[in-house]
Amino acid sequence: MSTSQGGRKIKVKRSLAYYRVRRILVKAVLYSVLIALTLPIIIMYAWLFMQSISETVLFGFIPSNFTLKGWRFLWQSIKFGEVILPPIWPVVMNSLIIAGGVTVIEVSIALLAGYALSRLNVPYREPLLLLIIALHAFPGITLLIAIFYLLNSMGLINTLLGVIIAKAALEIPMGTWLIKGFFDAVPWDVEAAALVDGCSRLKAWYKVVLPIVKPGIAAIAIFAFLAGWNEFIFSLTFLLDPRLYPLSIHVYQLIGEFRYIDYTLLAATALFYCIPPLVFFVITQKAFMKVPVVGVRGA
Amino acid sequence: MVSVKLDHLSKYFGSVKAVDNLNLKIKDGEFIALLGPSGCGKTTTLLMIAGIYKPTKGRIFFDDVDVTEWPPKDRNVGMVFQSYALYPHMKVYDNIAFPLKLKKVPKQEIDKRVKSVAKMLQIDHLLDRYPRQLSGGQQQRVALARALVKDAYVLLMDEPLSNLDAKLRVMMRAEIKRLQKELKITTIYVTHDQVEAMSMADRIAVMNEGKLQQFSTPDELYNKPINVFVAGFIGAPPMNLIDATFVEKSDGYYVDAGSFQLKLREDLGKMAKKNLTSTEIIFGVRPEHLIISTTPAEPDRSIEGFVYVLEPLGRDLIVNVKIGEHIIKAIANPGLTLTPGQKVWLVIDYDKIHIFDKKTEVAVI
Amino acid sequence: MRIGSPRARIFLITLIFLGPCIAMIAIFWILPVFSTIFLSFTDMGLRKAEWSFVGLRNYEYIGAHPFTLKVVINTAVYVSATLAWNVLVGLLLALLTFYVDEKSSLLFRALWLLPRASPPVVYGLLWLWVLDSSEYGLLNQLVKPITGKPIPWLVDYAMPAIIIINGFVGASFSLIVFSSALKSIPPDYIMAARVDGASELRIIKDIILPLMKWPILFVTAWQTLSLLASYEYILIVTGGGPFYDTEVWSLFAYHQAFQHLELGFGAALAMVLVIAALVIVLIQMKVFKFRRMITPVKIEHT
Repeated sequence: MSTSQGGRKIKVKRSLAYYRVRRILVKAVLYSVLIALTLPIIIMYAWLFMQSISETVLFGFIPSNFTLKGWRFLWQSIKFGEVILPPIWPVVMNSLIIAGGVTVIEVSIALLAGYALSRLNVPYREPLLLLIIALHAFPGITLLIAIFYLLNSMGLINTLLGVIIAKAALEIPMGTWLIKGFFDAVPWDVEAAALVDGCSRLKAWYKVVLPIVKPGIAAIAIFAFLAGWNEFIFSLTFLLDPRLYPLSIHVYQLIGEFRYIDYTLLAATALFYCIPPLVFFVITQKAFMKVPVVGVRGA
Repeated sequence: MVSVKLDHLSKYFGSVKAVDNLNLKIKDGEFIALLGPSGCGKTTTLLMIAGIYKPTKGRIFFDDVDVTEWPPKDRNVGMVFQSYALYPHMKVYDNIAFPLKLKKVPKQEIDKRVKSVAKMLQIDHLLDRYPRQLSGGQQQRVALARALVKDAYVLLMDEPLSNLDAKLRVMMRAEIKRLQKELKITTIYVTHDQVEAMSMADRIAVMNEGKLQQFSTPDELYNKPINVFVAGFIGAPPMNLIDATFVEKSDGYYVDAGSFQLKLREDLGKMAKKNLTSTEIIFGVRPEHLIISTTPAEPDRSIEGFVYVLEPLGRDLIVNVKIGEHIIKAIANPGLTLTPGQKVWLVIDYDKIHIFDKKTEVAVI
Repeated sequence: MRIGSPRARIFLITLIFLGPCIAMIAIFWILPVFSTIFLSFTDMGLRKAEWSFVGLRNYEYIGAHPFTLKVVINTAVYVSATLAWNVLVGLLLALLTFYVDEKSSLLFRALWLLPRASPPVVYGLLWLWVLDSSEYGLLNQLVKPITGKPIPWLVDYAMPAIIIINGFVGASFSLIVFSSALKSIPPDYIMAARVDGASELRIIKDIILPLMKWPILFVTAWQTLSLLASYEYILIVTGGGPFYDTEVWSLFAYHQAFQHLELGFGAALAMVLVIAALVIVLIQMKVFKFRRMITPVKIEHT
């Protein structure tokens, strides 16, 4: 330790200009790397939009002739030579039924279970919690094959209900976990006050606790709806009657059969299919950010 | 061991002016305190000196060198954070050695310096432990060691004692002051505790709402506060501040507080008249500067009231005296026996009163 | 048990609240495991109505199947490569968005969520266009000046393709976890390191990364299992092709069960996957000592 009397000379290492330039350079590098990494995503989705409204698109976002021809599936049936594509609206209806069904089932079951796990001094609370987390490690294909067999025995193959129940069942653990978090945040005191005021446990839950976790309910409802809307593999495997196909299968078939014939139509249909998820995505973007552990089956 | 100059330093967060036009000249080797209530901008100022915040306006100089653009790592400052910020995944030894490792000091030299600093702060037996295994006081010393080991130009401390218990705090105050005097390192110490600042610093910069109020020695701040804020902030129990009017009568100058009047000494009255912008004033006098008398005193220089509440503190006796709607605190000798409701007279010492212009809040006497 | 007695009431409440959930989990999660075990010992198929027990024949056939080895290698390559991408790119993105301003940070994180939020079919379609073998595919449009002719990406580079396709989705998960972990590092540590004289890169190496140990391990563990089980995007984009080049184990099981209509054999393949997943989970639990199950994202001060 220096014990010199008096001042010391400061070592000036670099000029002021150096610091200013460096600051700008670092920022430039950061943004460049970010943009470079994100570019594929930006271009891909830009293309989706552009291709749906123009004949051909160069480099992803330079459209040629603008046209709304691609969107004609909304009001007329499409013919490719001998093949007539199914009209779009019944297909949309199928998707809505699946999505809605999954939402209703998942939300109601998860709500009840989430509350119980959060609140009631039920024995076996801990192991159940563990189970829910562990379940997420089950390989999907295992469940798929067995559920197929199960639904077949129940006669639910080739029905929308089969798809709905199966999807809802797979989403329930995560949904329960999420809503449990919201219930955890409701202070005991509020419930206790309701009980003191004269409510039974059930009434307290219904009139006091539920309103407080409304944002949580909204969250899992949205996740459930999107899960049902985006659902692909169950529909692909369980549904055989083309009249039952939801939009996911419809688009999949379009890709397979008509991809090179009419890209514009394909893009428009795909974009159309994407509308609810995109809308929800934009609106609830903040909510997405706040959930730290969001697991979706797959990668 | 460097002088520090803050020139028109300002930091705005959106529309909030955390620090506003701060001008400060700190001498080489001086120990100064940045004192003020929470949110007054003292920590923000410290972080600007460290280089962690970039000033919105103004410049910072170390020894006449403009360091405003310099990143923290080039400024060679040592900093002790309120939370100590010891790296939890490194042992105490590595925590202290970290700044030296970054400077690429050779291993033997690092070892020598770390051990010497540790010895100086009496933590040399803790070098092999992890921060979570230490007590609050020990962690604080480690933080101090880390700040000192690099032979810094300036030592910055952000309320380093506030997380310690009272006894330890008092002990550490003396330790830090002694250390600073021995090392002669320019030190800037942030605190909201005026006792701490008064007992440790050579000079104190009192701040409020981002603006500098007064920058002087403890003595000056105590005896010659330049505005109401400083007067009320320094000293415990705080100065009595009473709204009053300055009246010029035929026979002299008076302070009229409604429930009592005091006649001012001639020279004081003239000075007040010269500097006041209006007749509305705030009259200030410290509790320890009032003499309590149980017998009637000269009406022009005493305040007559009755005992309202007594607060015995062992060494002192705080007497709350009620006059009209005002309650004035005075300190008495514990030997004095008083009873609530008893009539007393508070005698004024003209050398120890303060008059502030009510509008500008600046001291006139 | 009289209704009204506390024990009866608790039982009733448990029934109402937890019953449906437990029933669903029992039927669609637990039962399937046993069903799969059962199925794997049969020769049940969708071509014929009758079936019989065949013992270990299905499992023997796994060993004998000409493409089993290729599938194993594919799976190993796919899982490790995508895992590496997910963790590293996710970490890089988290750090980048940590250092830029708030608005840009939110924008980029939102963009990276798009693949995950889109329907898999659409996301797959987008990549099919990018990797289109004709001259209209985006990638081919870009490399045309260099190579002159269009490259059949999904034929020659199928494996890298599926790695990247799944990578973009997986990286967003890591991004969310790592971003949240970064935000929870007390800023004092970073400020102290800056004052101590560390450059930003040094701070990342010596302060930030050590403190992120648990989130990184958690993401690695979680994603290993996710990747083992994933096959949806691969199915949509390459279908396992060309000719088993991108056939991973899950997809192999799917094809055997629903394309070749051999449920029994598919079940056997699925069982192998379950066992593999179990082994991995057990190893992970031992390594992380169970804590990760309860607090996956907290910064643990070791």
